[in-house]
Amino acid sequence: MKGEILPPMTATVHVKPAGWRHGIRLWLPLFLFWLLLLPLAVLALPFLFIAAVIFGVRFWASIRAALAILAAFQGTKVEVENAKSRIFVNLH
Amino acid sequence: MNDNRRQVLEMLANGKISAEEAERLIAALERTANGTGATAMTETDKVKYLRVLVDTKDPVEGPTKVNVRVPMQLLRAGVRLTGVIPASAREEVNNALRKEGIAFDINNVTPQNLEELIEQLRELTVDVDNENTKVRVFCE
Repeated sequence: MKGEILPPMTATVHVKPAGWRHGIRLWLPLFLFWLLLLPLAVLALPFLFIAAVIFGVRFWASIRAALAILAAFQGTKVEVENAKSRIFVNLH
Repeated sequence: MNDNRRQVLEMLANGKISAEEAERLIAALERTANGTGATAMTETDKVKYLRVLVDTKDPVEGPTKVNVRVPMQLLRAGVRLTGVIPASAREEVNNALRKEGIAFDINNVTPQNLEELIEQLRELTVDVDNENTKVRVFCE
């Protein structure tokens, strides 16, 4: 499926505590986080491969499945509102 | 009127099936006739999100509203993950489920089955309504 392996690239977070006239609106560039994480992931790959061989797990299929789960978070929206605050998180 | 539809209506007339069952069967026949079964669905027809809406009225904390939208793709991706579970681990999962009295075989969880399940969820709405809490779960 198109774009299936791409994780959420940005997130929108709104936080508005009660009594505040304006809340905090954040646009988070998650792609920067993924870029930072990439070298660590590459370093971890050989260890993951060894673990996969030991436990009899299909390595590349696992990697693809893990990426698919990460990618599936695109479109997630969580909104919580009570008397004290309002929080809104949207993953794009 | 085609033979299948006539057969369903005859079964309904004879009291062999209920009106709801007849409706479901006719809808399934129409889907098959139009080639819009689960496998032939277009991307826009697919259920995309699971929505959970919670509205509570706590006498102390005040009202709380929760609105969560979870992509169905997450469920599909989860099923893909079951495909990489080693056979021995699957057997352990099945045994554990059996011990809990759940007759479920994890080997039967396939993407095809999941699509059928998700398609059925399209018409599912769960409404829980009591004095202080309203919960609504549905697919969109």
